[in-house]
Amino acid sequence: MARTATKKSAKGTAAALPHFNFRRLSGGAVLLTNDSGMHASLSGAQFRQFRDGRVAAGSALYKDLAAKGFVRDMMDIEGYAAACAKKNSFLGAGPGLHILVLTLRCNHKCVYCQSSAVGQASRGTDMSPALARKCVDFALKSTNPGITIEFQGGEPLLNWEALKASVLHARRRARELGREVRLALVSNFSLMTEEKARFLLANEVSICTSLDGPADLHDKNRVFAGGGSHAATVKWLKYFSAAYKKQVPEFRTFKPSALLTVSRYSLGREKQIVDEYVRLGLEDVFLRPLAPIGYAKQLWDKVGYEPADFLSFYRAGLDYILKLNARGVTIRERNAVMMLEKILNGTDPGYLDMRCPCGAVIGQLAYNHNGDIYACDEGRMVGWQGDDLFKAGNVERDSYSKVMLSQASRACAAASSLDTQPQCSRCAYKPFCGVCPVYNYETQGSLSGEMPSNGRCGLFMGLFDTLFSLLAKPASAKILKGWVSK
Amino acid sequence: MKEDKKNSPLFFSAGLYSAEALKLAAAVFSARGGVRLTAGKGGTEAVLSGGINPGEFANEALNQQCRIDLSARNSRLSGIIVTKALLSASGSSKKGGK
Repeated sequence: MARTATKKSAKGTAAALPHFNFRRLSGGAVLLTNDSGMHASLSGAQFRQFRDGRVAAGSALYKDLAAKGFVRDMMDIEGYAAACAKKNSFLGAGPGLHILVLTLRCNHKCVYCQSSAVGQASRGTDMSPALARKCVDFALKSTNPGITIEFQGGEPLLNWEALKASVLHARRRARELGREVRLALVSNFSLMTEEKARFLLANEVSICTSLDGPADLHDKNRVFAGGGSHAATVKWLKYFSAAYKKQVPEFRTFKPSALLTVSRYSLGREKQIVDEYVRLGLEDVFLRPLAPIGYAKQLWDKVGYEPADFLSFYRAGLDYILKLNARGVTIRERNAVMMLEKILNGTDPGYLDMRCPCGAVIGQLAYNHNGDIYACDEGRMVGWQGDDLFKAGNVERDSYSKVMLSQASRACAAASSLDTQPQCSRCAYKPFCGVCPVYNYETQGSLSGEMPSNGRCGLFMGLFDTLFSLLAKPASAKILKGWVSK
Repeated sequence: MKEDKKNSPLFFSAGLYSAEALKLAAAVFSARGGVRLTAGKGGTEAVLSGGINPGEFANEALNQQCRIDLSARNSRLSGIIVTKALLSASGSSKKGGK
């Protein structure tokens, strides 16, 4: 009698199978996953064989399933554990991303603003240079060996003195401590000058801006009283791209990047958005959904959309990107890249919103202009509305360990554990996914949320469905695998 | 806050729903309206006010009960992962420690 995927004594029973989750995909295929992040796509007939313990031992399917930890008799426990450890290496790292909100002031009035910005003339919303240095010192207490300090706002260039002070301080302290510190600026570029640009380049600050697509769409989303926002964005993107291509021996110059926020106005314009990114020489476009958090929550009826609307936009956009790739154009989609890193390479790409537990405090900290520390930038936006549930402490009053073990930290970590989420614990996408306590709280009233009616869950399920269906097709699979091949 | 006259009280059987799950569900809806829970024979009665959708409340009660049931099974695993993450981030964990 042929050996099968199950023990003889328990043949045909669920107890004979190792732990796995599954999902029926469109077209009849069934996706199997396990906690090590391994996955296998079976036909309906193969899945029934697997379920019933009738997969013949010598078959290719048996060997494939055994190698991936789906055959209990053939479990490589050490290999399984190593894969789990690799996938979850962030659990031992500590916060790597430190967001310094240098000012709440902004000279734009974006229709979807999620950063709780105030007008350019507002007072009392700038971080002082001294406090900015203290925030850098606090970030350097992180147990994470390689941290990133990201300067945000509002528009951070409105508080140049604090930005300059924290950059210089971070570089000096990093040298003294022998620490790896990456510095990043997120700016709309409207206040960028040659002098500032040279300073940023010389201090190895990587540059990221917002680019919502072609000029008319960008300027409709990102309203700038001082003229066209798009023109300044493009001008300085070209400047930093040229600097990247040139490179000089004195310092490293990073390729600039851009972030897209998809508003209702963006729907149906995916090709023009992607074309704009390609035109500007950007190699990554992040088709990033809007979340009903902060200012966007109040304007959701005007600028928001249903998950299904975003998924239609996403599928059309990704399909277009794949077609461009097939024609030799270099452009990748960031959601796909980060998910594929997990699915195909079994590594953590540092996508803090998609971790278990989520990245709140244990992966990132957001430092408000007044020194208050929040679990994440989204949590800071909730705080701006008067609810400090996600506040983890204050730079000047609280110790590093107190912040790490704060109520906000513990609550977010516990609430985002997928093993105690009713739907997530059985979801085939569990090894690659994560929940967001801030999103849950803002949309459903609790940190843990209720996944069957959770918009973010529906959205990510759709993204994973899209990717796995594309991975089942040889032509698209080849391109997607190429995006994350080492 | 006035109770919604059009909504009949919801009855949650004690065989399925713990008092804890119903209290947690009531807390989730506290910002949107009022939930009055009354323990009775064989279960708990919930009277909703402030325009809370009864279906949404029932969904949340079920969600909370499932979370409690699941936590009873998985809390050890979840606790190990969460504790590892928190202690590593705080610098409290010792290298090589279990």
